[in-house]
Amino acid sequence: MTPHNLPAEPNRFVGRARDVAELGTLVRQHRVVTLSGVGGIGKTRLSLRVAAQAAPWFSDGVWLVELGRIGDSGLIVNEMAEVLGVRDEIPGRLLDGLRVRLREARALILLDNCEHLVERCAQLVAGLIAECPCLRFLLTSREPLRIPGELVWRVPPLELPDADHPDAESVLLFVERAAAAGAREVTASMADIVRLCRALDGLPLALELAAARTSLLSPGRIADRIGNRFGLLTLGDRTAPPRQRTLLATVEWSHDLLQPKERVLLRRLSVFAGLFDLGLAERVCADGGILRKAELLDLLSGLVDKSLVLHHDARGRYRLLETIRQYAAERLAEAGEDARLRDRHLRVICEEMERCYEGGSLDRRMPWSERFPHFVRGRGLLDDCRIAVDWAVESRDPVLGLRLARAALSILAVRGDLGESVGWHERLLALDLSAVPGDLIAVAKGGLAYGLEVGDELARAEELIVQAVEEQKKHPYTHWLGITYNVALTVFFRTGQSERALRYLEELEAAASAHDDLFNLATARIAQLNLALFRGQVRYARRRGEEALALARESGHHWTLARALTHLGAVAEADGDLEAAMAHHTAALPLLEDMDNRVELARCHAKIGRVAAGLRDYAAARRHLAAGLALSRQSGQRRGIVRALMALADLAQAQDDLEGAVLAAAAGTALRESIGQYGTPGRVQQLLAPARARLGEGRVALLWARGMDGSPEEVAARVLDSDLAAAPPFGPPAPAGSRYGGLTCREQEIAGLLTRGLSNRVIALELVISPATVAKHVANIMEKLGFTSRAQIAVWAAEHGLDADHQAAREADIERA
Amino acid sequence: MDERIVIVDSGTGLTLTEEQLDERSAVAIVQLRRRGVRVGDTVLICLPVGPDLLVAADAVIAVGGVAWPVPADLDACVLQERIQASGARVLISDLPQALEAAEESRVRIVMSVADLHSYPNSRELSTQSDRIVPSASGG
Repeated sequence: MTPHNLPAEPNRFVGRARDVAELGTLVRQHRVVTLSGVGGIGKTRLSLRVAAQAAPWFSDGVWLVELGRIGDSGLIVNEMAEVLGVRDEIPGRLLDGLRVRLREARALILLDNCEHLVERCAQLVAGLIAECPCLRFLLTSREPLRIPGELVWRVPPLELPDADHPDAESVLLFVERAAAAGAREVTASMADIVRLCRALDGLPLALELAAARTSLLSPGRIADRIGNRFGLLTLGDRTAPPRQRTLLATVEWSHDLLQPKERVLLRRLSVFAGLFDLGLAERVCADGGILRKAELLDLLSGLVDKSLVLHHDARGRYRLLETIRQYAAERLAEAGEDARLRDRHLRVICEEMERCYEGGSLDRRMPWSERFPHFVRGRGLLDDCRIAVDWAVESRDPVLGLRLARAALSILAVRGDLGESVGWHERLLALDLSAVPGDLIAVAKGGLAYGLEVGDELARAEELIVQAVEEQKKHPYTHWLGITYNVALTVFFRTGQSERALRYLEELEAAASAHDDLFNLATARIAQLNLALFRGQVRYARRRGEEALALARESGHHWTLARALTHLGAVAEADGDLEAAMAHHTAALPLLEDMDNRVELARCHAKIGRVAAGLRDYAAARRHLAAGLALSRQSGQRRGIVRALMALADLAQAQDDLEGAVLAAAAGTALRESIGQYGTPGRVQQLLAPARARLGEGRVALLWARGMDGSPEEVAARVLDSDLAAAPPFGPPAPAGSRYGGLTCREQEIAGLLTRGLSNRVIALELVISPATVAKHVANIMEKLGFTSRAQIAVWAAEHGLDADHQAAREADIERA
Repeated sequence: MDERIVIVDSGTGLTLTEEQLDERSAVAIVQLRRRGVRVGDTVLICLPVGPDLLVAADAVIAVGGVAWPVPADLDACVLQERIQASGARVLISDLPQALEAAEESRVRIVMSVADLHSYPNSRELSTQSDRIVPSASGG
């Protein structure tokens, strides 16, 4: 099964059978296929269908990235990373992570609704296909990207009925959807249906909107009414192409038929970034006046019945088609409700995130199974968070914006990616903060410093974190102060200022104990463990670790639990107790998996791999190192790949494979240097010394050079002794290459004749076939052999004994036999 | 090798030998197929009279398609009608008026003359160079 994130089809797909089949082939043969056409012509639906059918050919997945919901072209990379599971390694360098993820991937990426971001999409897609040889793109866009390698495929409307084909695609779609809408005897007047399909230009969205009304209006009446509208179009560009005007007229017609309250709801729903549920719709759209909360469900169902809102999934979420969302957004602006609704959206999303933060609470003692859903819910709101933060900045509302950023921080941290929150905090803190409560600003500075520390921007982090601690101390204690202390001591340890770090550690311990803050007390214990380990006090370190573990168990927070276990594992390793180290690391593994914290999970696999190698359980070591490496690649973590390669070097050395050890260490060092990360040269020298003694200076130098040049994947495959690299390049492999490259007898014959430099016309005369047929055979041969000229075929044919002399000899052989 | 000249461009005086014609046809056939043209498909060809027109027609016929030439100098409305009437999936043209007329038709793919000439480097990386218009023949 190919991994994918394609939604289930909401109803039956009608028509376009040949187009789907043809596009299924085209997306395999062309690097970039762009489905272009006006809104409502069915680009998205067709692309989803094609992607689903092409899935078996893409072993690394088929991935839908919806761009309609994002307004800022800088976020395309974030959306892609989110879908592909790539995590930010260094804030702002997400694209590097995507490259790592996709370099070897046989994947199809479907970018839906590119039109408003064409320029950035073009750059991004062109860059990625140049670097990732097996990657394919399928795009939907009103405008093509105009990049090399792009095949522009213009989506036509559905076929219209004529005398010979009364059952054309457009008619089938209309009848099918009308029946689904509960219309009876809709087919009684085929002539009206034909007229309607023609009036609607066969545009699928227009047909759907019309069909949704057939329970009340007959096809004939709909055709009359929509026909009247073309002259009356008040909106949009009157010079727009006819199809666009048809669609606009139909959307407008369907909109005008709505109850006044339904219209209000529809336009208000346009403020959501993507998916929304009834609860959010109620809180954002109901105002107690025009729209009451109690009516929302009925109104929403009404919009679904009219095909203006789509019921997205079984979890009760809804969404608007992009074309409808844009129309609704225009109506919202026209009604002058834009700012009010976006304010409310910001407030509701902020409250919702705060509720998720509370629910995943740090202070209550509560089982993880009750907390975790809040994290999942919070994550699902990320798209809405983005546009809400944008609005907070645009409308200069730092209070709600900072509250939202604060609540989102804990959700993002559990999963291990803080990169995006850095930008949020920076933009919000740049606003006029005179009306913002001091504690909120202080926490925001701590949040920003946290993200900066993770991204190695220590100088900026240091300045902010001191302010954050001092300012928060003036206010009553919250968990945020504990978290801020922890960031502070990390920053000061990392910059070599251990005195100051220690002072913060003491303050953290005192404050967390005084306020029964188990989460931060556990954090303090882990910091003490690190310090003790650094000083070589193993027993003291273990005791602190055990305390942290007990606190984590008491509070039930898995993130703390996983950290405590991981650190205890490190202590056991330092103590040489590999069995205990194995037990701790193995216990942390499922917790990290559950939280989807891929960065820590990869690190955990690497540690288990190293410990297993020490225990001489080489099979387990290989398994875990391979898993960690794959995970790091999939989440675009080059540091993780470095770590895995270094662990592989240790494994190879433990197995007495010194060549493999040198190769892996060299590949790891090369990658480490390329990302400007400091290493521990001592460790590499420790490994090289015995290799030099055994293999000789020259051999080691040669291996080192090979490892530095080799790709991490190849080197890892060599050490793991697996055959990752031997997979076929694409999909079902071609039938095992026969001697003549799969050429038919006739093609072999023509290839032979080409060695004599004959023209198609002469070959045609010789074989008594038409020149066009000869041309077709020649093209077939070129395609099968991947050649670009007839001369290449001639050379190949001669090499394979297909030229005339050999042919004669072969025939003679056959006669003799 | 057969050096016989088979086509002369009356405008430029450029010639095509039989070998060149065969070569171009073969490449064009591959390109048509790669865009999904099948036996029985109608392919519109809207090009000025000249070697490219002949190569295109040759290739369409060889691939099993039905060549449907449209004069390049038709008036916009007639051009649009003809294109719509053809029901073609593929149009071969570089002419702006033809591309515009195809906007509201059922044409899925528009191929330029450059598309007919260019052959991908290899099958894997095929289309990277697909739409790079060689400066000599761009138009």
